[in-house]
Amino acid sequence: MPAILTRAIVMLLLTGYTAFAAGPFVWAAMMSLRTTTEISRNHFGLPFPPHWEKFGQAWFNSNYSVYFTNSAYVVVTAVLVLTIVGAMAAHCLSRYRFRGNRFIYFLIFSAIIFPPQITIIALFQTLVTYGLYNNLAGLTLVYIALQLPLTVYILESFFARIPSDLFDAARMDGYSEWAIFWKVSLPIALPALATTVILNTILLWNEFLYAVVLITDEAKRTLPLGIQRFMGDQLEDVGMIATGLMIAIIPIVLIYAFFSEKLIQGMTAGAVK
Amino acid sequence: MATLTLDRLSKRYTSAQEVAVTDVSFTVADGEFMVLLGPSGCGKSTTLRMVAGLESITSGTLLIDGARMNDRPAKDRDIAMVFQSYALYPHMTVYDNLAFGLRRRSMPGSEIARRVRDTATTLGLDPLLQRKPHALSGGQRQRVALGRAIVRDPKVFLFDEPLSNLDAALRVGMRGELSALHRRLSATMLYVTHDQVEAMTMGDRICIMQGGNVAQIGAPLDVYAAPANTFVATFLGSPAMNLLPATLGPNRDVLHIGTQALQLSGALADAAVRAPSNDVLFGIRPEDIHSGSGYATLRACVLDVEPLGAETIVRLAPEGTSAEMLMRVPRTFSGRPDEIATITIDLAASHLFDPASTRRI
Repeated sequence: MPAILTRAIVMLLLTGYTAFAAGPFVWAAMMSLRTTTEISRNHFGLPFPPHWEKFGQAWFNSNYSVYFTNSAYVVVTAVLVLTIVGAMAAHCLSRYRFRGNRFIYFLIFSAIIFPPQITIIALFQTLVTYGLYNNLAGLTLVYIALQLPLTVYILESFFARIPSDLFDAARMDGYSEWAIFWKVSLPIALPALATTVILNTILLWNEFLYAVVLITDEAKRTLPLGIQRFMGDQLEDVGMIATGLMIAIIPIVLIYAFFSEKLIQGMTAGAVK
Repeated sequence: MATLTLDRLSKRYTSAQEVAVTDVSFTVADGEFMVLLGPSGCGKSTTLRMVAGLESITSGTLLIDGARMNDRPAKDRDIAMVFQSYALYPHMTVYDNLAFGLRRRSMPGSEIARRVRDTATTLGLDPLLQRKPHALSGGQRQRVALGRAIVRDPKVFLFDEPLSNLDAALRVGMRGELSALHRRLSATMLYVTHDQVEAMTMGDRICIMQGGNVAQIGAPLDVYAAPANTFVATFLGSPAMNLLPATLGPNRDVLHIGTQALQLSGALADAAVRAPSNDVLFGIRPEDIHSGSGYATLRACVLDVEPLGAETIVRLAPEGTSAEMLMRVPRTFSGRPDEIATITIDLAASHLFDPASTRRI
């Protein structure tokens, strides 16, 4: 097959996939600049004239500033704790030989296999008992517990690939195990850390199920719950939902842009020497 | 600088059945370059790591300048180590790699900078100080690893096969540089390698290890000339020493190799008298066999001739025996395969080994 034909087929497939993946996003972005009335008239119309004021309305009048702040508080805290605790656990499990090492690793990792529907009732009851129900700190703790196994899993495999000579060299240089973690392990594992930061941020920023069960106060709603508020039984403010989605997606795009290079390094580490 | 003493040092891993290192004892004098030499798995790296404090010591005593080090952590032993993989911190520049160990010692910034600059100048690293390890060649990385040890000015330097990742040409160059460095620093150094050329050319003394035990310790040429057992005899030297099964005559003054006989004299005759039995192994290095006739001659069939340029290696089968031996001769050697050659054995450079204990008699 001529090279040009192969190239054309590949380009066609990639164009199709890009349209499939990015289409809904572009559609939502266009709707975010149109009113619900305009959207009802023509679902796929272009945003002319663009209603930029909708972003202001959503932020100030529709309480999005509160939802956004709540989401930011929960996700930033959870991701911060997840990254530090996950890295410490991974460092420990990958570096130190001790009795029960693999058992603990299996125990942490086995939490991944339970679907959230199984644990949510027990979690609900636990949070009520400890006064953490309808509480952002409670939701943060749940998020940490939820994502810790995956975080440890990703980081452990990366930490295990760091040559042990580096740790021996640092020990010879006079550093304690604690200092070695901060000064050697963590900086070297930056690509893997970036991977977990992005994955956790995306998953938790969009998390709906636990939030809807564990948070009821209007003032404590996170963004996914806030967006849901515009979905009534009879009427849906599609335009505002789209605007809300765009507001919600901005931090994810920013964080991805910031960390994407490290993310790719983390995902392909070891693949190429 | 310091004196390093290992007294019956042993290592047993809890998971392993066998002991990794058994009763290793030697002293590295102040300013001495001692090489631990042996094949893979002989326990030389484990011994080095015990000295470094990276492995616990199961039994025995480790002393530096007379002070017991067994239970002191690596950081408190004032030892620096150069690793086989260089172990450079990939996220730090060359400068930071060199300064990393000094920063831990609460040294003033100006002193750190001075030491790093001095070391960098010594090793020719000045233009590379702001580079990261991935932007360095193998030789440059090796130099940084060396610099990281030197900059700390430790009591003892440890090297764990530091040249084995370099290509052959670079290795020869670095060998010379390391020897020069040792002369300049007059430092106490313990160097692990499986490369006999490194051991022979660099070490003041060699400690040859076999199966977790010390097989022999001595100056390189002494060990080469008088190996303690068949392992050392065949491990040192390339090509290795020839070992031929032989039988001593009833009066122990004649050695029978197959159907041929050699009249013994000198030290070899004395050794023959001491032999525990008449069956012995006759050891002779390829360079101690010469073409042509002399005092002790054998007839041998030429099996193979390998001209190497500077010299020629000849594979021979002495008549009346199935054993083979190698001979190193000048390139002028004219014998051809399947010809019968007359060869002369240098009896003064020959050895007898006891086949049961493998020890030199």
